Amino acid sequence: MNSKDFSAGMMPRRRFLELGLKSGIAIAVAPPLLSNLVSCSRPIELSGPGLDMDKAVLNRVIAKALRQGGDFADVYIETRHSRQIVMEESSFKSGLYGISQGAGVRVISGDKTGYAYTEEVTEENLLRAAEVASYVARNGKTIQPVEVKSASRLSFVTVKRPLEDIADSRRIEIMERANQAALDYDPRIRMALIDYNDQVRGRVIANSEGLYLRDELPLLFFIVQTMSDDGVSRHMSRERISEHSGFELFEKDTPEAVAQRAARESIAMLDARDAPAGTMDVVMENGFGGVLIHEAVGHPLEADNIARGIGAFTGKMGQKVATDVFTMVDDGTLPNFRGTINFDDEGTQAQRNVLIDKGVLQGYMTDILSARQLDLPRTGNGRRESFRHFPIPRMTNTFIEPGKDTPEDILADTRSGIYVQSLSGGSVNPVTGIFNFTCREAYIIENGRKTYPIKGATLIGSCLGVISNIDAVANDLAFGPGICGKGQMAEVTAGQPTVRIRGINVGGSRS
Amino acid sequence: MNNQELANRLIGRGRRMGASEVEVFIQNSRNLSIRVRNEDIETVQEAASGGVGFRVIVDGGLGFSHCNDFSDRALNDTLEQAIAFARLTTPDEHNTLPSDKPHQDVAGLYDASIVNIAMDKKIDMALELEAHAMKDPRITHSSGASFGEGETEVLVANSKGLLKIYRSSVCSVGVSVVAEKGDQRHTGWESCARRFFDDLESLEKIGMEAAKKAYEMLDPRMVSTQRAAVIFDPAVARSLVGGIIAAINGERVLQGASFLKDSMDERFASELLTIIDDGLRPGGLGSKPFDGEGVPTATRTLVEQGVLRGFLFNTYAANRAGVDSTGNASRSGFTGLPSIGTHNLYLKAGPDKAEDILANTQRGLLLKGVTGYGINPVNGNYSGGASGFWVENGRIVHPVQGLTIGGSAHDILNNIDMMADDLDMNRSFSAPTFRVREMQIGGA
Repeated sequence: MNSKDFSAGMMPRRRFLELGLKSGIAIAVAPPLLSNLVSCSRPIELSGPGLDMDKAVLNRVIAKALRQGGDFADVYIETRHSRQIVMEESSFKSGLYGISQGAGVRVISGDKTGYAYTEEVTEENLLRAAEVASYVARNGKTIQPVEVKSASRLSFVTVKRPLEDIADSRRIEIMERANQAALDYDPRIRMALIDYNDQVRGRVIANSEGLYLRDELPLLFFIVQTMSDDGVSRHMSRERISEHSGFELFEKDTPEAVAQRAARESIAMLDARDAPAGTMDVVMENGFGGVLIHEAVGHPLEADNIARGIGAFTGKMGQKVATDVFTMVDDGTLPNFRGTINFDDEGTQAQRNVLIDKGVLQGYMTDILSARQLDLPRTGNGRRESFRHFPIPRMTNTFIEPGKDTPEDILADTRSGIYVQSLSGGSVNPVTGIFNFTCREAYIIENGRKTYPIKGATLIGSCLGVISNIDAVANDLAFGPGICGKGQMAEVTAGQPTVRIRGINVGGSRS
Repeated sequence: MNNQELANRLIGRGRRMGASEVEVFIQNSRNLSIRVRNEDIETVQEAASGGVGFRVIVDGGLGFSHCNDFSDRALNDTLEQAIAFARLTTPDEHNTLPSDKPHQDVAGLYDASIVNIAMDKKIDMALELEAHAMKDPRITHSSGASFGEGETEVLVANSKGLLKIYRSSVCSVGVSVVAEKGDQRHTGWESCARRFFDDLESLEKIGMEAAKKAYEMLDPRMVSTQRAAVIFDPAVARSLVGGIIAAINGERVLQGASFLKDSMDERFASELLTIIDDGLRPGGLGSKPFDGEGVPTATRTLVEQGVLRGFLFNTYAANRAGVDSTGNASRSGFTGLPSIGTHNLYLKAGPDKAEDILANTQRGLLLKGVTGYGINPVNGNYSGGASGFWVENGRIVHPVQGLTIGGSAHDILNNIDMMADDLDMNRSFSAPTFRVREMQIGGA
């Protein structure tokens, strides 16, 4: 999932990433035990107060940030303990452990944002960051900050088996089980790549409106890729599970089941034939296919480009933009989901936001800045990858609401076209609304039936075109986890029931 | 204590904790990012950051940890974690660190003066760039213009006596604008990145190019699904070449996950295709004197007139393959293990003029924009979204968008039949214009 917005598409930012000036946490992870070396159940101690930073200091930093002017300021402190174990070709290839801490100070003055961060979280460094961030507010109007006070927020994350209590030997065991299940599935499965990640992110948010919040969120991310090879063709498939959760995730969905799903696709796709090219009807199976509307509709409904007056949905609030069967929701409160956040990285309570209701545009996803600019409510979508980034509007768990049809009826009612079972991912230009996504597992539909598999084809269209062409929505809503990039990463889920889209352009290699 | 002393002390400590080999990677950087829109500042972000990555080997097992807290206690605990992990992973005799081989310095990587240029001047440059891009009346909105700079110091040291440091800088400007007409919207962006501030191109040129990319796409028309020639603009060559590079990644080749795994010294593409990776080009945006684990970089021909000549290796993959590292260990900062990547990658220029390629195309697509993942490195399948211009009788007739292109790597690469001489080496990936004689195009 890659949104080609201004910053993501710009060379400068990319160069910076290449040069390693980046946050560094591509995939992040948490602390546990080692088989022979006791463990780090004792968390690594970082220097300085970190998340325990005194509220009086935070008040002084916020005051300093607003001294030259500005109408909002906040401080964000973060610590992250991450862990990754990689298994390839039946070997535990590497183990990675990372700790990272830092804090950022932001000043908003009108439409301007100033931001600076420090990795050594001391009062002196925070004050310096506040001074740098306040540069943009010179000569702006000034407000008097409110003293920060602890607030409370609803939580949608429950943990039964905390990651900190899990010995590494158990992580290893999970990975071995997945590897074995993949290899046992079929002799043509030549290799499994298993990537186990967990992390615990602690955050403190304090702002000039007097808000103070602190919490800690665990995140588990387990990825199995399998490669089949029958001497003629080869297919790499991928299956992922992820939740803000403890180790109980593997009781809900076993490592064997995850690996078997990946292996099934690898074997099925060995028979893939060339895909056709041109415009045709597409039936998308329920689940991570929701990445389609994440890209095509979700990104263009993020309020930053709307506030700039350039987003594809600018000026369309209250208008009919899709068919009656189409209702789309972004919901940061789904229990333990990968995109669930309790409160966003600006402290706004997560909530259920209906974006499009029976085809009518109802809402944009805002952060504090875009909500002010558009005079809209804060929706709890102000998110950031780490303390090295300031918040921008992002999705959480985004999905199409279930409809009345059954998936069987939708397929039977489609004379010809493509049945898409899984996607690799996609991207969108949020200004033009032109999106693309790439199939990993797809089949030709003939006379209402799934027939033979076809090689991975790109599907493209425009956001307004696609939602007015969704003419059937089934009752089988399901979700899949994803990583969304928009100049910075965010963990999300995308969901949908089985849907049919009339007339999408398919990038095949034959006519 | 300076970073060299720190690195040596940490290596000694790791050895005492029981690691047979220890690598310390320290990266410190500073960056500034300015973004303006509608003639005013939108964001200013500035920060300095740094951290340490530990790679350790214990009895053949590999462990890694990283930390951005330089306190003695945090570094110690982090190092301990790497060693604990190394005891857990599967022993592999190919896990070794490179020995100390002398490297040559690369000129022109670090401009010490960027930091001294006043903030107001940098803001003014972004404002001026936006103004140039907004001049044309067809441009209705600005998505913003930016100035960015960064400098980085990288230190790699290991227990085999290797200790190397280099500094680099980059500065860049970019702008993105929108052209509108009725319900139509098109975006255009252009940027320029250089190691040295004084080498940045004229702001007027960059701004006008961004505007042109937006307005020249106005009034696109659809074409029917057909097979036709596709002319690849230099900006989109990566969508083909990226898949080749991923397929000659030594580790993926060893795993059998590559459509080129059995193609060494064989012809798999048109004779017009020669691909070179150059780590040593003075001032190159991808240049570096040594790779992410301290191995000297080189200039290598990867594909010579359509024949595969070289895979890419870091030390681990080279050990497995029984060859020497090619100096292609890539590292994205201090937070991860070295993977495999290229430096300045380019397609060698050919004999043709870009305008002659167009003039010699009876019917086809001049490809300016692609979306999707490019060539699938595992099986060589290619599919993408496409936009650009439709060509009839050697002339551009109208813009096109919403098309698809597809094919197999084998068919596409063997069908490259014209290669232009318009190679611009100022990017870490460069290609001239080239033509694929025929590809499947998906349309109405």
